[in-house]
Amino acid sequence: MRLWRDLLILLAFAVAIFLGGYWLIKNVNWNLSERFEFGLSVEQEKKLGDLMKETLWNNFDKLEDPTVDSAMQIITARLLRKLDTSQYQYNFIVLAKDEINAFTIPGGNIYIFSGLLLESESPEEVAAVLAHEIGHAEKRHVVQKLVKEFSLGALVAILSGGDPSLLMDVLRQVIGTSFDRDQENEADDFALALLEKARIEPKSLAVFFERLNAKDLSYNRNLELIMTHPHNDKRLAKSRGYLTQKDFRAEKIAVDWARVKQAVRTKQ
Amino acid sequence: MGAYLMMFAAVAIGLPLPIINLIAAVIYYFVNRKKSRFVHFHSLQALLSQIPTTLINWGLVVWAVWIAVTDLRLSEEFWSYAILAGVATLFYFIISMIAAYKARQGKMYYFLFFGKIAYDVAFRVREERATTEPVNKPPF
Repeated sequence: MRLWRDLLILLAFAVAIFLGGYWLIKNVNWNLSERFEFGLSVEQEKKLGDLMKETLWNNFDKLEDPTVDSAMQIITARLLRKLDTSQYQYNFIVLAKDEINAFTIPGGNIYIFSGLLLESESPEEVAAVLAHEIGHAEKRHVVQKLVKEFSLGALVAILSGGDPSLLMDVLRQVIGTSFDRDQENEADDFALALLEKARIEPKSLAVFFERLNAKDLSYNRNLELIMTHPHNDKRLAKSRGYLTQKDFRAEKIAVDWARVKQAVRTKQ
Repeated sequence: MGAYLMMFAAVAIGLPLPIINLIAAVIYYFVNRKKSRFVHFHSLQALLSQIPTTLINWGLVVWAVWIAVTDLRLSEEFWSYAILAGVATLFYFIISMIAAYKARQGKMYYFLFFGKIAYDVAFRVREERATTEPVNKPPF
């Protein structure tokens, strides 16, 4: 009997140390992920982003229209105002491509395809997708994914002027592949919190993807994960059931969305 | 005393895998347990008490390798576990040094839980061999 009591005391100590450690890690900002990340520094990431931008322009056209630019400006300003601290200077760019996709490249550069704007029924839905992408950038998922796929050495080689064809592969990877489940969940959590702070309805995230699901539209793998995998029902339910603060009041984004879509259609 | 110092075997080899200390402790135990009950007790206590710390450290190594190979992200759970492994190892170092010192002085020193098991095994009263009267029987 005494033996069991002693064992329980030891186990209780172990659990207490683990939970105490967890509390410390959660509540004190140690910057552990910054210090020990197997990856690039923020500065290197920005440089890689700049190189990727150059390659990007060889493959895509920017959609330039004052109505669309102004709408994007209003939407992104609402989000960025509530982004307390950020490592990046964000750039949001609309690409003229009839595909439902949005992606983030290193250094805080977020791209959205015009096809996604056309499928959105409101600026809030676009804001939700962008908030999700900002989440990926802030959590440094993009650079983690690239290090995993290409190795740190290959990325450093690109930064020092290495193989340009590799840069194209890196870009393809960023545009065409999905993040893992944990990263998607993290980006969702970030997006929902940011949307609430920006007084944008957090359910917009689920609304957009549920509608695409219902229409059974084809979409890029980058967004596929959100929509098709069974566990994503949970993610959509999380967005649907996200509990806002009691005093939360959604404020519409003042953009004439029908006009923006019309402008996109004419430019595409 | 030597039994407790076996745990430093891993440190001497450079801690590649936290299993060396356990192997050393097992060998030490089987070589020395017959010397006396006192030595049996201390070597068994040293051996048993190393098992949880070794398993925790093994878990940490496997987890770290797994992260390096697949995920590349050091989660909060991983760091909490690393703290647990660090504290457990440090604590074990300290009590081992105390136990080694006591053993050197010829004194008993009981760890929680493991001390009782080691004592029960080392100082168990063994059943005497059966002493039935020899019976003279004819050879057929």
